[in-house]
Amino acid sequence: MSGPPERAARLVRWYPRAWRARYGEEFTELLIAELAERPRSPSRTADVIRGGLVARLADAGLCGGAPQAPELARAQARAGLASLACCAAVFLGVGGAIWSQLVIGWQWSAPDTAGTAVATFVMTGTVLVLALLALLAALPVAWTVAVRLAHGQARGLAVPSALFLAGLAIMIVGGRHFGNGWPGTGGHPWARTGLVPGGVAAFSWASTLWVTSFWAHPAALAAFPAAELTWMALSPLALACLVAGAATAIRRAELSPALLRFEGRLGAAACVTMAVFLGGGCAWITGRTPRPGSLFHPGAIDVAGLAVMALALGVACQAARQSRRGPA
Amino acid sequence: MATDKALDGFGRYAGPATLILASLADGAKHGYALTKDIESFAGVRVAPGTLYEALARLQAQGLIEPVESHDRRRPYRLTEVGAATLRAQLDAQRRVADVGLRRLAQGWGPA
Repeated sequence: MSGPPERAARLVRWYPRAWRARYGEEFTELLIAELAERPRSPSRTADVIRGGLVARLADAGLCGGAPQAPELARAQARAGLASLACCAAVFLGVGGAIWSQLVIGWQWSAPDTAGTAVATFVMTGTVLVLALLALLAALPVAWTVAVRLAHGQARGLAVPSALFLAGLAIMIVGGRHFGNGWPGTGGHPWARTGLVPGGVAAFSWASTLWVTSFWAHPAALAAFPAAELTWMALSPLALACLVAGAATAIRRAELSPALLRFEGRLGAAACVTMAVFLGGGCAWITGRTPRPGSLFHPGAIDVAGLAVMALALGVACQAARQSRRGPA
Repeated sequence: MATDKALDGFGRYAGPATLILASLADGAKHGYALTKDIESFAGVRVAPGTLYEALARLQAQGLIEPVESHDRRRPYRLTEVGAATLRAQLDAQRRVADVGLRRLAQGWGPA
């Protein structure tokens, strides 16, 4: 049986690294004294675990507490923005799969229900707004990181930047390669064959090929070409690299209070836009069922996708709220 | 007065925060000494996770500060702002206690 020091060390691991760096030693000493006095206390263990989880949520910018010192508040705002970026990526990854299914369907035939047509219009409009917001949010952060790298202040930023660029390059090259195989686009991103340019729809489809119910049907999956299967496994990893690199760079770049406020406003606008997108998706799912065999027939994967998007949106809203509380 | 509202943002940690400030009023203490002292005068055992969440918030607000120590157990002491906040907090609690005791005496007779 392990003694108080070992048990205290195990309990402290519930807390995030940054917290442990600041309070780890003294907290461990307190736990050792507590454990020596009262070896068994489930309520104490539960309290430490709860405190650790709260500290981890705070570290991810998903919850806050009392007003903090400006430096800590800015760090929490950056953490909130990083979490918001991760949630938006999950939302768009799944949402992009649903949206591309609808706009590609429109390339072949017009929607057979008004609900599907309205939903596709709404989702297409919000995709455009989200793309604009993402661009507005990314440019100043990219500029800040680039300036720091140019001035030799690459400490902690070089690896996430490289991770982001590698993930982005893989997604663009792979998405273009597999999107080109889609009939009707001829490899031209702006070839117009439906509601949106065919190449854009095909790129979105190819980038989100991994969001599919085929994972539940291994026999059908085995019939896929090897290159496509490889891409289905590789693209989520590339997306994860892209998002992890971006989130880490946001957390480590010393963004000014004004820029943090600007990013926080964009985050709030993105949450509203994502909610409208989700509304469009729900309208499609709950509207009159398209006729059998229709290209717009929703499946169980689409319902599950909307549930994931709702969850991601909920966490994104919480992160956006925290990110706006920080910078004074 | 600004200090009246200082513990408003502490939510569920306002209670532990008041106990910690009261404990530090007679000198610096580290985590375990705080736990034992609070238990002795308030009859409440503040669990370690709750204690450190409250300590972190108090420090972030500038109500307490760590004391230089070569020991792994870092002591904390009250700051000027912390003392003023504690005074305001206890005054408010005393007003509530006075009113409650007076009304009890009027309605239910003296204890």
